Parts: sequence; C-alpha cells; structure tokens
Amino acid sequence: MNTKPHNLSKMKKLLTFTALLALVTFAKAQDFKFGKVSKEELQEKVHPMDSSANAAVLSKKERIYFVLTDYDGFMQHREVTERIKIYNKEGYDWATKKIFLYQGSSGAKKEKVSNLKGYTYNLEGTKVAKTKLKKDGMFEEDYNDFTQINTITMPNIQDGCVIEYTYKIVSPFLVIDDVALQYNVPINKINVKITTPQFYRYNKFNNTKASYFPRVKESREKRTLPTRRGSFLGTSATENTSAYNNTNNSYFEDILTIVDTNVPALKEEAYAGSMGNYISKMSFELSAILNEFGAPQKSFSSTWEQVSKSIYKRPSFGDQIKRTNFFDDDIASIAAGIDNPFQKAALLSNYVKTKVKWNGYYGVSAYKGTKDAYKEGEGNVADINLLLIAMLKSQGVNANPVLVSTKNNGVPLYPTRKGFNYVICMVENQGQYVLIDATDKFSSLNVLPERVLNWKGRLIKDDGSSNWVSLMPSQQSQESTSLNIKLEEDLSISGKVRQMITSNLALRYKKRYMGLSKDDQVKSIEEDKGAIEVANLKLENKDNNALAISYDYELTDAIDDIGGKLYFSPLLFMAEKESPFKLDERKYPIDFSIPFKDKYKVNIMLPQGYKVETLPQSEVMEFKGGEIKFSFVVKENGNFIQLSSEFDLKSAYIDSADYSVFKEFYGKIVEKQAEQIVLSKI
Amino acid sequence: MKFLKMPVACVFLFLSTFGYSQSDSDYKANTIPLQLKIKANAVVRFDKQIVEVNDFDDMYVTTTRIVTVFNEYGNRHQNAYEGYDNNTKIKKMEARIYNESGKEIKKFKLRDFSDESAVSGGTLYSDSRVKYLSYTPVKYPYTIEYVSEVQMKSTAFVPQWHPIDDYYVSVENSEYKIINNSDIKIRTKSENFDAYNIEVISDTHVKAKNLNGIKYEAYNPGISNIIPSLKPALSTFNMEGVKGENNNWEDFGKWMYNKLITGTDAIPQSAIDEVKALTANTTDNLEKAKQIYQYMQDKTRYISVQVGIGGWKPMDATDVDKLGYSDCKGLTNYTKALLEAVGVPSYYTVVWGDDDIKSIDSEFSVTEGNHVILCVPNNEENVFLECTSQTNPFGFTAGFTDDRDVLLVTPEGGKIVHTKVYNADDSQQITTANVSLTATGDISAQVEVKTTGYQYNLHERVVNKSLRDQKLSYKEYWDNINNLEIALIDINNNKEDVVLTESVDLKASNYASKSGSRLILMPNMFNRVTNIPPRYEKRNLDFKLQRAYKDVDKFIINLPEGVAVEAMGEGEKIESNFGSYEYKIEQLNDNKIKYTRTYIMNKGNYNKEDYNAFRDFKKHIVKLDKTKIVLKVN
Repeated sequence: MNTKPHNLSKMKKLLTFTALLALVTFAKAQDFKFGKVSKEELQEKVHPMDSSANAAVLSKKERIYFVLTDYDGFMQHREVTERIKIYNKEGYDWATKKIFLYQGSSGAKKEKVSNLKGYTYNLEGTKVAKTKLKKDGMFEEDYNDFTQINTITMPNIQDGCVIEYTYKIVSPFLVIDDVALQYNVPINKINVKITTPQFYRYNKFNNTKASYFPRVKESREKRTLPTRRGSFLGTSATENTSAYNNTNNSYFEDILTIVDTNVPALKEEAYAGSMGNYISKMSFELSAILNEFGAPQKSFSSTWEQVSKSIYKRPSFGDQIKRTNFFDDDIASIAAGIDNPFQKAALLSNYVKTKVKWNGYYGVSAYKGTKDAYKEGEGNVADINLLLIAMLKSQGVNANPVLVSTKNNGVPLYPTRKGFNYVICMVENQGQYVLIDATDKFSSLNVLPERVLNWKGRLIKDDGSSNWVSLMPSQQSQESTSLNIKLEEDLSISGKVRQMITSNLALRYKKRYMGLSKDDQVKSIEEDKGAIEVANLKLENKDNNALAISYDYELTDAIDDIGGKLYFSPLLFMAEKESPFKLDERKYPIDFSIPFKDKYKVNIMLPQGYKVETLPQSEVMEFKGGEIKFSFVVKENGNFIQLSSEFDLKSAYIDSADYSVFKEFYGKIVEKQAEQIVLSKI
Repeated sequence: MKFLKMPVACVFLFLSTFGYSQSDSDYKANTIPLQLKIKANAVVRFDKQIVEVNDFDDMYVTTTRIVTVFNEYGNRHQNAYEGYDNNTKIKKMEARIYNESGKEIKKFKLRDFSDESAVSGGTLYSDSRVKYLSYTPVKYPYTIEYVSEVQMKSTAFVPQWHPIDDYYVSVENSEYKIINNSDIKIRTKSENFDAYNIEVISDTHVKAKNLNGIKYEAYNPGISNIIPSLKPALSTFNMEGVKGENNNWEDFGKWMYNKLITGTDAIPQSAIDEVKALTANTTDNLEKAKQIYQYMQDKTRYISVQVGIGGWKPMDATDVDKLGYSDCKGLTNYTKALLEAVGVPSYYTVVWGDDDIKSIDSEFSVTEGNHVILCVPNNEENVFLECTSQTNPFGFTAGFTDDRDVLLVTPEGGKIVHTKVYNADDSQQITTANVSLTATGDISAQVEVKTTGYQYNLHERVVNKSLRDQKLSYKEYWDNINNLEIALIDINNNKEDVVLTESVDLKASNYASKSGSRLILMPNMFNRVTNIPPRYEKRNLDFKLQRAYKDVDKFIINLPEGVAVEAMGEGEKIESNFGSYEYKIEQLNDNKIKYTRTYIMNKGNYNKEDYNAFRDFKKHIVKLDKTKIVLKVN
C-alpha cells in the first residue's frame, strides 16, 4: 500500500508562489499513440522473448513533473500511461488496476486522480474493435482514514486483447513515490521522465539488489517564468521569507530519463525473502528546498548521521527516554542489589514484557508515548523499547536505542527517515554489548525476533551522535539431537530423542510450540514423521534462551524386511526427506535468516541375532571453502552402530552465483541421509 | 477479529451477532467451572441476543456478550464487530474490558471502534462496511463485555443462534429470543439440540448452559453439522427494499424469480442474433448449451462487485454483455439469457460453493448460500454450469458444487435438487511409467498421468502455468524423488470428455540408494501416499470422507546389464470399509520388473470408534508404498 509519512505533507507549504502559469510540458515523442493499437499487437499469441508470460506491458510511460499554481504553489503531477497485452486467462488480473491515493493526515491535503481514460482492444475478424472504459468500470472507495483506493476494471477482456489506460495523480506532497521499472511480467518498452524544479533537490537511487538495471540519463534544462505581475515571492507565512529578484525569473529543471526496451519479468523465487527487495526501481529523496539563488533554504536528511539525529530530536523519540518519574517507584526494587548491567537489563526487559504488550505496530516514534503505554499496558515497538531504555538509564545502565529497518522494510537505498521503521535497545558495559527487543515474549538478550535481523542497526547516543552496529546474531544457533534407536523383534523401533536448541533456533521453536496445548505439541512433533507415537514429551526452558525437548517414541514403519535382511536409514524420521531447492537456476540469493548448526548423535542397538552387513560410507563435504560443512560418520561398535552428523552453516546468505553448486551440495546431503543400513541374520 | 470473508463467489451480507446476561461473577475469570476451561481458548460467560421484529422491514437486534479470553487464540471469540450498509444502522456499540478479578480496566465507545470497508481480498468493490474492536490485551485472562444495538431494514437475514460458533470455545450461558411485535409468521428450525444442554422455552426462545468446548479433529464432518443452532425465517421479509414471501422453498424461489431475476435478463438483439447464428447448426439442446457456454467463457471474466440487494440481485444481462465481466450472479443470469435466446430452458441455481460439501437445507427455507450456478435440465440428469470460470469444462462441477442439495429458481417456484455425485470410477488417476535404471541408481522415465472427475480438478491447475512453474509443480508433486529433472512436458486437456493427460519425461540421479554392492529401489516412484492421519488419544468426533476416488498405477522398470534382483516382495492386498489397496511386483524377465497398484477410497460417514481403523488402513498403505526392491550389482 502506498502511504506517505505525515510530516512531509508540511513541506509543500514551504514554497508558495503567486501568479504563475503551469510550466512544464513534455515531449510527445512516442511510438505508442494512445488510442491506436496495431493488428500485430492483437494477433501476437505469446511473448516473443518470454513464452511464460501471461501478459506483457507493451509500453509503460510515466511522467512526473511539478506545476506551479496560484494558490497551492508547486503541485506534483504524475502521469501514467500503460498499454498491456493479455495473452491468456491467467493474465486477466492485469485488466484491474488499483490506484492508491494518500489522503493526508488531516484530510485537508489529498491526492486526486484525473484524466482517467481507458480502452480495451480486441480483434474481431480482421477489424480492431475498441471498447471504452466507462464510469461503471471505475470504483472509488475510502479504504481507511489515510487511503482512498480508485479501482478501474477494463471492459470486454478476452484472450489476446490489448488494454490501455492513462491517468494523472495530482499531489500536494513533495514526496515522490518509488517508480517501478520492473513488473512480474515483461515490459517491452519503458519510458520514464522525472522533472524536478531547481527549488527542490532530490537525490536519486536505483535498487542495487535488482538483477536488471535500466539506462538512466540525467540532464538539466532552463525554464523561464512568465512573470505576469512582475515579481513573485518565495515566501510563506510560516517558513523562511526571501525576496525574489524581479529580473531573475528563470530557473532550471533537473530531468531524469529512462528509456529502455525488453525489461525482463521479476520472477518469484522461494527462500529469497521479500521479492520487493529485488525489484528494479528508482527512489527519490528530497534532500533540500532551495531559494531562487540556489542556496538551501531548508535541508533534509542526507546522511545516516543526520537522519539518526533528526529522529533523536523528535519529542516522540528522544524525550521518551528521558522521562522516568512515572515508573520510578515501581522499578526501584526490581534490580535492587544487582550490579551487573546485563543482569539488570534481563530483569527489566522481563518486567517491561509483563507490563506492556506489543500491539503489532512497528515504528521509530512512540505512538502513545512511554508514559501512556506504561499506564495502559499497550504500545508500539518504540513505546515499548524506548520505555525499556528509559528504565535502564534510570538505573544507571548504559542503554541506548538502535534504529532498525525490518526485513519487510528492506535495505533502504539512501539515507531517509523511512529507512528506519523499528527501534531496539542496546546495553553496553566494559566493551561488551547486548541487544534487546522487549516486544517479543520469547526473545532475550542478543536473541532478537527474525523481523529485526536485517541489514544493520544505527546506535544513537545521548548527545545525538550515532554509529552502525551489526544485528546478526554473534552466536551461531545450534540444534543438538541425540537419538537412541532400539530395534524390536517385530521390526518396530523404540527409543528416545533429546534435543538442546539455542539462540534464534530456540526462539523459532518456542514460537511454534509454546502456545500449544500438550496434545497439540505432541501432534505437531508427530507430524510428517510417519507411523510414530510420541510419549513423555517435555519442553523445558533453559538458561540463555535455550530450549530442551525430550520424548520417547515408537515407530512401526521404519524397517523393511526384504528377503530376511533388514533395511533402514539411521536418521529415521530426523532425515531431510527432500531438498527444498527445486529451481534450476536463481537470480536472487537464498536467505536462511540466521547462521546455524545441526548436530546429530545416533546410537543404534542391534537386535538379537543380527549383524551388520553394510553401513553407509562416512563422508565429509564442504561448500565454498567451508562456508557450509557437512559430515556424516558411521561406526560399528560391538553391539551398537553410532552415527554422528553435522550440518554447519556459517553464513545465512547463499549468493545466487553459487546456487547450482549449492543445490548439488544440498542434494547430496539429502541422498546421504537416505542411505540404508543393511543387517543380516547371524 | 473476524472479517466478513467470503469464498470466491458471491458475498451475501451477514450480520453476525450474539448473546446477553448480567451477574457480577461473569466478569471474573476465576469463577468459571473447570469443565468449561478444558479445550477452550475462551469461555462465553453470558450471551444474550434479542431480535425484535417490528415489521417485515423493521428489525432491532440487541446483543450483550461477555467473554473471558484465556490466551491470544481466544481473542477471535470476542465477536465484537458489526457489518453495516445503507440498510443497517448501528445504534449502539460499546465494549468494556475487565481484568482477571473483574475490575474494569478499559472502555470503548462507538467512535472508538475501527471502521473499514468489508472488502475481502478477491472483491473488487463492495458497499458494505464493518466496525470492529481493535484491542491489544495486556494480560490473560481478561473478560470483555460487548453490547450492541443494530436497526435493520432488511429482514432476509435474521441473526441465527449458534451458541458455540467455533472450535475451542465453551459456553457458560447463552440465550436467544425473538420478540415478534408484528403479525408476521416466524418459522424456526433447530439442529443438533439433543447432544447438548439446551432449554427450549418456545420455538423462538432458547437457552443453553454449560456447553463444553469442541476440539478440532481432522476429517471432521464440518462444525455446522456438530454444533446446536436455531434458524429463523420470516414469512414476509424485506431484502433491501424488495418485499418477499417465504413459507417454503417454493415461495422463496418464486420471489427470487419474480423480484430479483425477472427484468434483469434482457440482452441486446445483436447478442441474440449472434448466439442464434452460432447454434444454427444443431437442434440438440445440450449441444446448443455447450456452444453457448463456450461463447460465454470466451467473452467474459469473473469479477466480484458486491452492490445492491444484499449482494443477491444479478447485474443486468445487457451490462454483462457490454462490459464482459460480472460476478457469479451476473454471469449465470447472462448465460441463462443467452440460452433462452436459442430456446434452451435453464434455471438460476443457489448453492453453497466450496471444496467442503455443504447442502442448502431442503427442509427449511431461509436466505442461504454463497454462490450461484446454472442448471440446464436434460432428461433425467441435470447439467450444472459454473459460469465464473473461463476454463471449466461444460457441466463439470467436481470440487466446488458437486454432490449437494441446491435451490433451483424456476418460474413456478423454488425446487431443491441434488448435483452430480462423482463416484470412485468417475474420479480416477491412472499413472503409467516406463522407467530405465542405471547401475549407479539413476533413473529416466516417461510418465503419463491421466485424470478424470475430482482428480481432474486437482490436476487441471497445472495447465495454465508457465513452463518454469510447471516444472516446479512436478518437482513438488514427485517430491519423493530427489534431484529430479524435468525434460519434457506435454499436457493434453480434453475438455470434451474431461480427461487430462500429462506426459512428462524426467530423470533423477541416485534415485536408488547404494548400499555396498546393492541398490535399494522403491518401485512406487510416482504415486506415493505419505500422509498418515493425525493420532488422537481419544477421538471425540465422528468423521467423514467427502469424496470417493480411484488410483491405478502401472510402472515398468528396466534394469541395466549386470544388475539383478536379489530380493523383493510379491505384493499385498488390503480391504477395509474405507477402501481397498493392492500392489503387486512381478519380474517379467531378467531385466524387466512390473509394479502395479490399485487404490480405491470410498466416501462415507463413519463413527468415531472407527477412526483408528481408518488410521491403520492409511498407515498400512504408507508403509506398503515404501516397499523396496533389493538389486545386486555385479
């Protein structure tokens, strides 16, 4: 959804000109004339370069420019014209388009749609039939307080048809929304032009994680203001006033042009995280508003240091961690007598977790304010974690906020306040530090919810200075499993499983199991493990956020008796049954979220009257010089077979360039785990 | 919080409201009888709903509901929301939150409730809205008291009584009462009262006490068939300004025909001429219907636009003709108009559309259903057309509207009929494969999967995918084969006979696992059952197998030189009430093995006592499907 920060709505006020005409025109040089579609376009049955495409954007044209108006100053205009070919029924969704309009926080300033027109073209015999989009295909809906959705749905959609629509959004806001340069269908021709007047300085960024980069051209053109009244003022009632020079009535515009052909479709890949991180796009950062002499009248965030400082200066941020009087009495006793700041942090974060529940909202600004959140027992991320920081500070602990961009917020392309959408707490002592997020009941010191494990964090100190900190868990999570196997005479198996799980893996397991009833925990453990019955299940919280799981099991379908010999694989139900990496190739990395280590110790007691005939071969494999290691060591030891196996993943990311090697590596692991032990009668 | 989320088809406006009481102890979490805390995430302490019927177009619903919530899963049982539109006015909405010991900690007034469009994901536009409570609990347990008063002009949907409305919620007290201030006759029907502690004061006044929570169990027969309910219907009702009569399905159907359908079914002369010309080459009604169905599918698409008459009146057929899109009602009505133009009679048909089989209640007429299809009468057997799909074969209903009672809307009135039942022989999957094995355990194979009926419905989804996604689909479908590579895909979708034939050439390295000088090969490569139904210490609910089907498999496995069979089973046969299974392995010659397998599942309703037997049946199949052949490599 397209929402914009409320505080930027104000910026528009900064420049108020009087008595001027619309300035901006754009060249009408285009191959695609609106309202004229060729027979060839309609006859095309499949996309010539991507036969998997259900639809294709034949032409996408977007113009963003600023128009000076008498009363409202510069207004942002965004014209969008798209011509889309729909090959088959799977592409019919492209016939419906939703336009999100930001309605401002007060409702006084809002975005509006105009010049909305559309046609559907079909081939009837040899003739091109054209159906117009009418009012009955347009819907306006107040989605919520901030957003209006205008939906259009094109008439007369049939396989092979071409649709075309054009509209303009007029916005009183200076924020330029990201311009998408890629869709999940191919774009044949893209033509984007963004023109910004010299008074607004935008920094421009393209997404470096994308696999497609367009050709971008930047230029500058001179414009003359027809000064009907002889002068215009760069003034506004509330902001900086600067007299304009009568004679200086020309200014320049910055123009960014993207003209390209054959933009490939963005295709979904499993385990890549949010595909939004990989779309090709242009982002625009308003860095300054200038006066007519070209000097900055007002500057905006341009370095992460400045961004951090401006966030810190907000009353809803910096002030929140200074206010302590409302909880002083309540917490005095909690950390009394404890000197270790990390211990204090553990106690107080638990206290905050019981007192204030997270309402599910992210944010770097306190929504209710720490005081009200504390009183009402509910708050957003900033309410909760800033409260924790305030409490820790009041107890003499060196605690400070760390700004974060969550996984679904992605990695920002440039320093912007939107780049941070979350805040956590950091405690430092004698060169060591811990990170804490008190919004999650299962998280603990240095074990953060996965939504936070993205990019890096920005630590802000009391004086407003800031620097980067790594958010990646310093400790590799571990899952250590001991599996005891006893083969019975009736070919069933019984035994015991003991697992010790640490750090973020423990957090994952706790989220999965802790909310369930005992019955459902057992059912969840039994799932996908074949004909198993689990008993005496115990889940136990251990120190440092670890989780211990133990249970007894009986398994009736694991052993095959073929021709008097017994066949089974030593990891039983613990074996990975299939490789999840099925794509032949990838464009984007695999994201495991956290580094981890899986360890197995299996102890198999042989049944009476049988001996080992064949064991799987022991093997050690490495991927990329040890970034991932796998070992599988089987030994016979008297009446026992012992297996120890380890999967060691040191980096959570697998680069797409390494994918085919990794896929093969992982496939081998699955194969190895499926290898059979053969027992024969003595 | 629950939204008015509806299936892909129509959205009918439901106003879900619930019950009333007052006693101080209801606000305290610690006064709940122990029995009610078992299998419950929340307990409805007191729930009272009064429905005042003042006239056929004037109904006033008062709800008071006190719920104690034990954990985050229980929040959904607050039921603190009301849907509304132009004909529904929310007069009062209030909520109070109490802590464990019954002390009030928070209060919400009407303006504190969130307000949103009740548009669900698939809906393009809807004029219905919803107000709901958005409250983040600080601590569990807590108790919420919710009070609402709603004035409705539409009386087609009188709130029904479902004291238990979901799994894992128990009920201490629930009361429901209709006060009839009019001379309109009100009929009611009760269901599943016997197994519960329910006091019937009159046909329109019921109370329930201490109803235990119900635990979800797999293969359950559908919660609505388990829980007690009371359904009311007014003999004279109003649906958004349209007055109607409803004493039985005949009345109701007649009203629908006259007031909702008639007048919406005109189509332009050009369309009439076109379909007449199209069908000129035949006199057979069914053949004409086929041609017109194809015509409609090519011309239109499905879009959900819910406006007017509670989402019950179809869009004008003229508009559908012009725009080329509509929802299920509009597309069905349009198809009906096209058929009429060529002299083929057909009936607008109201149904519950879902993969789960659910019938319109043949015994009690009340506004119900969530979807509309078209019935073309054809001698003994009615043909049903799904008009929202552009790809569905003619007359094919398996998976969404098969095997259930539906309401035909005819000029003479409503009629209940049953849709097509797909038997095991109608829903087949026949897999044949010719497999070559190498001495290192690699396989290559030509596989063909032929499906009909319900199984056609499951496989057909692959047809319109891109090649890349088709490849992924087959890798998922045969996820028992590691390192699978798909070389060639050829799919033939025979819509005339409704048979899908998928031909796939594939290979996989190391399919047979090595063990010293042996290869261990699972001969069932392409149709393995791996899922065992969940185990229950004590099964509480009866269970249901919704549809019958049949799988037949025949794989020929060619062995390379120097590889010989060391050991293998011969086969096994299982017979049970739930179905039958048989597999066989034969050695045709030194280097050829034939694996055959036939698996039939019956449909039916079964007692909970039989659940373990059903589980054992499936468990046995899972085990036999993993049967191995041991090969010796020389």
